[in-house]
Amino acid sequence: MKILVANRGEIAVRVMRACREMGLRSVAVYSECDRDAQHVRYADEAHLIGPSPALESYLRIDRLIEVARRAGADAVHPGYGFLAENAAFAQACADAGLLFIGPSASVIALMGSKTAARQAALRAGMPVVPGVEEPFGADVPVDAIAAAAAQVGYPLLVKAVAGGGGKGMRGVDNADELPAAVRAARGEAGSAFGDASIYLERRLDRPRHVEIQILADLHGTVIPFVERECSIQRRHQKVVEEAPSLAVTPELRRAMATQAASLAKTVGYTNAGTIECLLDADGRFYFLEMNTRLQVEHPVTEMVTGVDLVQWQIRIARGERLTLDPERALTPRGHAIECRIYAEDPDRQFMPSPGTIVALRAPAGPGIRDDSGVTAGSAVPVFYDSLISKLVGWGPDRPAAIARLKRALSEYRIAGVRTTIPFFRWLLTQAEFAEGRFDTTFLDRVLATRTEPFSPASDADEEIAAMAAALDAYFRVGAAAGGQARAPEGAWKRAARVESLRS
Amino acid sequence: MSTRFEIEVNGRSRTVTVERGDPAAAGRFLVNIDGRQRVVDVRRGLTGALSILFPDDGGASYDVAVVSSGRGEVTVHLPSTSLRAAFNGRRARQAGTPGSDGASGEQRIVAPMPGRVVRVLVAPGDEVVPRQPLVVVEAMKMENELSASRNGRVKDVQASEGMPVEAGKLLVIVG
Repeated sequence: MKILVANRGEIAVRVMRACREMGLRSVAVYSECDRDAQHVRYADEAHLIGPSPALESYLRIDRLIEVARRAGADAVHPGYGFLAENAAFAQACADAGLLFIGPSASVIALMGSKTAARQAALRAGMPVVPGVEEPFGADVPVDAIAAAAAQVGYPLLVKAVAGGGGKGMRGVDNADELPAAVRAARGEAGSAFGDASIYLERRLDRPRHVEIQILADLHGTVIPFVERECSIQRRHQKVVEEAPSLAVTPELRRAMATQAASLAKTVGYTNAGTIECLLDADGRFYFLEMNTRLQVEHPVTEMVTGVDLVQWQIRIARGERLTLDPERALTPRGHAIECRIYAEDPDRQFMPSPGTIVALRAPAGPGIRDDSGVTAGSAVPVFYDSLISKLVGWGPDRPAAIARLKRALSEYRIAGVRTTIPFFRWLLTQAEFAEGRFDTTFLDRVLATRTEPFSPASDADEEIAAMAAALDAYFRVGAAAGGQARAPEGAWKRAARVESLRS
Repeated sequence: MSTRFEIEVNGRSRTVTVERGDPAAAGRFLVNIDGRQRVVDVRRGLTGALSILFPDDGGASYDVAVVSSGRGEVTVHLPSTSLRAAFNGRRARQAGTPGSDGASGEQRIVAPMPGRVVRVLVAPGDEVVPRQPLVVVEAMKMENELSASRNGRVKDVQASEGMPVEAGKLLVIVG
């Protein structure tokens, strides 16, 4: 069996690792700027699919199908992002006789509409956040929306029906703010998703984000997993995820799992998926949305259950029966936490930091998993998401997992681009994080008032840095360059010349 | 025989001299930093990573990577932080200091990468404060807020919503 991975970066490498373990051949696709990327090097074969902009390469359904045919691939794994939740892509694969490693095109389309997904959750008996059940098209007057908003109650959220990642979403505290929020959400949704439809949802007071991973085979078996806690978010983007959640009791876990499995069955779901919920301070949970793909945070579930979700995705797609023990899936062994390492500068409001990674040393050792898509010499192109690695720490309990992650972050060295590593070193020392006292608003509230750098340097650090810089220059010019007579500037220039010869 | 370096780290200039130590002990050096002499034991790996030991200071061990960023600057990676160091008075910006200019004069807000302007949050004449977002540029699948680094008044806005921008394109001038 041969699997084409219609993605790039760390998730493409992750899927290919599963292929290799299963004795399957992997096919990479790449854009022009990714010729030298790690997923191309890792794959058994690789094919160019177009210019660097994603619209001309990783999002080109026609080219992907053509390459899959030419390479003789049997199946396509979409990863996450790009075409992973695109019903037309799933359908195109099916039409071309390729196994799409994910749910059917019709289920992707159904759950892709946030209002249709809410209705499905209600049918399955799952509580949803109070809101409207019918979307407002782009031409519905604001007066009509205001009347519905009064019914829902303030504060509320205006959300894009086709939304995701916080795009096309606006918070509204009172009726006066509604017209502007509707305008902004419609504009953003229209340009981001090509669909300006919106709906309204009550805004819960400081909820946690808790989600349930499920696997469902083609024979009607659905297995829900222990929850993931993803409340550490920056502007609606998850940055740290863990399993299990400190806020979930075994009883609540069972209740959420049962409801999630029921929803999956109601819509005829197959393969891997995630039901995202909000959990309020009183322990009540509400359906938020369903992601019809593998999630970035899937490793924390794998670490606490010992189940390889990607391998099961492939086995399910080729018709195998889910033979997992449901109790094992629902019973966490220890605790796992993931940090998303992005090429972003945390000291400049997390501005993307594209460039070339000139040096890299990844952490290792007990309980550490680094799902990376880069190596020394890799480029972080400007064209794509800047996630370069997912660092996961496992321990017998949460404090042990945190200690391991801290240790691993001190080992991690990435030079050439800025990364979020200093931010995680800081976050893991915060009392709120250590004690689990956080909700989805925690990180944005703290960051709003923070001005200090994330990795302040002590006097001793500065002194060591100065000495190291001097010793490095001394070595580079060679001992022969010594002597007071030679100006340091000359020594530096020679060092620079030596450096340029090396590269 | 010693080699002398002027090195600026975090805005503070330091004088560092390096000379070979006891010839019998390979890798031993005498390093003088701002008049204080220290014995160090150094090994440099193929990849440029330095292992620095202080034999007279309890054997304290530092695993350090020094990476050239060109123009007489290096970045020194320590386990807890990274610092820029500049040779011979070349100005080293502190790692991660917001803003690309000094403490006075115009702030010229430019697109740091190719992308698209999604929101313009200020108009000419507006007073702005440090960290106040001025323009939002979408790039690398993220909306990135470009902010003021200090107080000022918006003199010119050359960005409009929906406008595609190249890296380096001037967007806003704050006087």
